[in-house]
Amino acid sequence: MLDRQALQKQMIVEALKCGFTDCEVFYLGGESFEVLLMEGEVSNYENSSEAGIAFRGTYCGRTGYAFSERLEEDCIPFLIDSARENAMLMSEDEHEDLFAGEAYLEFSGYYPELERVCVEKRIQLAKRMEEAALNGAESIASLDYCVLGIGKREVSIVNSLGLDISYTKNFASSYVSAIARAKDETKKGSAFWKGTDWAEFNPEETGRRAAKRGAELLGASSVNSGTYQVVLDGKAMTSLLSSFSGIFFGENVQKGFSLLKDRVGEQIASSCVTLRDDALLEGGYASVPFDSEGVAGKNKALIEKGYLKTLLYNRKSAKKDGVASTGNGFKAGLTAPVKTACTNFYIQKGEKTLEQLFLQMENGLFITDFMGLHAGTNGVSGDFSLSAEGFLVEKGNIIRPVEQITVAGNFYTLLKDILAVGEDLYFSAGGKGSPSVLIKGIVVAGN
Amino acid sequence: MLNKNVVENTLSAALGSGADFAEIYMEQTKRNSISVVNGKVESVQSGLDYGAGIRLFFQNKAIYGFTNDTSEKNLIRIAREAAAAARGDRVYPLQGWQRMDLACRNPIQIMPDTVEKNRKAEKLYLAAEAAKNYSPLIHQTRTGCLDIVKDVFIANTDGLWAEEQRVRSRFTVEAIASSATEKQSGHLGPGGSVGFELYDMIDVEEKAREAARIAVTMLGAKPCPAGRMPVVIDNGFGGVIFHEACGHSLEATAVARNASVFAGKMGQQIASSVVTAIDDGTIPNGWGSAAMDDEGTPTQRNVLIENGILRSYLVDKLNGRRMGAKPTGSSRRESYRYAPTSRMTNTFIDNGKSTTAEIIANTEYGLYAKQMGGGSVDPATGAFNFAVLEGYLIRDGKIAEPVRGATLIGKGMEVLMKIDMVGNNLARAQGMCGSISGSIPTDVGQPMIRVKEMTVGGRG
Repeated sequence: MLDRQALQKQMIVEALKCGFTDCEVFYLGGESFEVLLMEGEVSNYENSSEAGIAFRGTYCGRTGYAFSERLEEDCIPFLIDSARENAMLMSEDEHEDLFAGEAYLEFSGYYPELERVCVEKRIQLAKRMEEAALNGAESIASLDYCVLGIGKREVSIVNSLGLDISYTKNFASSYVSAIARAKDETKKGSAFWKGTDWAEFNPEETGRRAAKRGAELLGASSVNSGTYQVVLDGKAMTSLLSSFSGIFFGENVQKGFSLLKDRVGEQIASSCVTLRDDALLEGGYASVPFDSEGVAGKNKALIEKGYLKTLLYNRKSAKKDGVASTGNGFKAGLTAPVKTACTNFYIQKGEKTLEQLFLQMENGLFITDFMGLHAGTNGVSGDFSLSAEGFLVEKGNIIRPVEQITVAGNFYTLLKDILAVGEDLYFSAGGKGSPSVLIKGIVVAGN
Repeated sequence: MLNKNVVENTLSAALGSGADFAEIYMEQTKRNSISVVNGKVESVQSGLDYGAGIRLFFQNKAIYGFTNDTSEKNLIRIAREAAAAARGDRVYPLQGWQRMDLACRNPIQIMPDTVEKNRKAEKLYLAAEAAKNYSPLIHQTRTGCLDIVKDVFIANTDGLWAEEQRVRSRFTVEAIASSATEKQSGHLGPGGSVGFELYDMIDVEEKAREAARIAVTMLGAKPCPAGRMPVVIDNGFGGVIFHEACGHSLEATAVARNASVFAGKMGQQIASSVVTAIDDGTIPNGWGSAAMDDEGTPTQRNVLIENGILRSYLVDKLNGRRMGAKPTGSSRRESYRYAPTSRMTNTFIDNGKSTTAEIIANTEYGLYAKQMGGGSVDPATGAFNFAVLEGYLIRDGKIAEPVRGATLIGKGMEVLMKIDMVGNNLARAQGMCGSISGSIPTDVGQPMIRVKEMTVGGRG
């Protein structure tokens, strides 16, 4: 296997010789460690390394792509031939300009200390989390998953315009999911931790949190069908927000896959909503110094107090709209072309505690989880119809758990129907987030 | 793909600390894909996935490592590091090799990597045009094609030495109909373990018109009423109900951990007696077919449920050890990045005795789910959900007006017991199934079925 930089540089030289007028070699490397526990024992253990390069370049005025996970010299002719053939299918007006680079802020995403904690110690931490989850509530029968891992990722972009940049970041994470049983009822509660310092990881707290949620959900039943006010907790709202994040992408708006065409400057959400995409958020799970095109990361308000301020752009979609890239041109992996993606994408927290949201709602539902988001959402129309679980709230107090209901609505409408925003900002492992929010009225199917 | 010395030295290193089983899996996958949006090429991608995974068993414990540096030195390093993570009580010897003779399940007529991309793109333009011309309401189209040629090599310390080339092709079309305020989409994605001959087997224009028809129909549909009602689910992709509601819970991955509602139910009735369900990895040229699974066990036809009685789980080697059950040729993985585990291949409910006309005529009021979208399930609780892509209300035993935005939710066990009619028009459809060993091609399928009562979610 060839050294990364040597391969990137050699590839560029060869491509220019073969008729490419400019080109870029994107490198993605990673290492991961993961341990899965079952009944106090390590049941699965994984340790791996991977790397690959993705090539893109201009041939006859058109952009061609190809990638390889085989990092040997013999992959160079394959990459060049494929990229040339692929370029010839593209039209010239879809050409992607390469970027020579700009000034970047210092980025500290790599914590070598994280990897220095020995394997035995990591397994110990996982065992403590497992025990805490098993003992966290009387009804906990077993664990569904108990996993702990470390991931490291290295990105480097070298192109024929002189760009040569890279960064490395790593994270530790753990996830536990506990199964609570009572009679013939089974419920699951889960919790995760993600961070860059083992000292901040409290395995007992994480384990107990999973157990508590599982136990709380026991004794659930459905509710009568009807329209309810709901509080969506941070996790539920985040999953909904993630599913519809694409409506804010300039390229989707341009292609008609979003209803936000010509809406910048207009009010599209309730005035208590501010939505940000912040690539530079300190400690953010999705923080990066630059995107896959080498554009420096930025902190943007997409919605400010209800008003749509900007869309998210990569270089190509920005050019079409005559604006600057927002630094959101990302490759979803080696095999993917540069598209638009979010960084730390979240609704800014408000001031209300969860209790205050319940009191304001008075009677309604507290939704803690949505299921089936990949199928039950229509990214174009904004419609969703999702299986959900949570709790029934009466006079501002949780009365009992709720299951076997579906919640249906439209995301565009929901943004306008947010009555209040909580202070409990939650982030998913992917860097998307939201506090709990109170929603005006939503259709629930149950009994 | 690897020479014998490299394999023997790597596996010996793996056995060094007392693993009782070691396996090396290697793959090289050539991929090509083209995506066309509104009749114009949006992206063309070609590439090579390449890497190896090494797996060790210490009784019921598994250790896995993967890399794409397949030099002997690095493979031995990965094997040693993996071996260091556990300790066995004795060192097992390496067995002699037995080359596996595999039946050719999926003969390929036209290797997709020999076909010029222009010819593939032409099919996509044709489809885009056909979808657009279906109705002035169709304002956007997305069409795509994907083909892979995957060379797999597996050797293990039981002496297995096996190689297989897997070829798959798939065509996708999505049509979006829009009015001033609404957008609705219809999509189809036929494919198989076939080469470029896929395009002789299907008519891309007809598929495109079908996608457009769904989008246009749904654009004019009212929101689906919510509540509990009988649900008739049509054939083909309707089989996703069984895949989600039951299939995942029959995977040893969930059963061995006692995290499945069907654990301990072998030989018991888990479905209504009109239900027989099969997982068959041997169907010639099936999307989920292969000669062997991803740990080298030949694929087979597994009857999962026979007239309502649970007959078999889907079992891989590791969970087979944990459960004391024989592997069923069901161990699959997306790539070398994943340790394999029990998964579905081509799974379907078998034909029953009712005709589709009888089923509709016998339903006074309910939902007719003609085309299903995707869904998901939690095997621990059995709770599932899935989306109805194209739905209609049934009134007085007749299919009435279209309804949109319907979701079906329920629990696997309950729904299986509530299937009261099974039709005779079995068809399969293609999907990608995501789970702990990655995203893999699987067929779902069924004839038309009726579920006596289900919770339907909707805004109407």
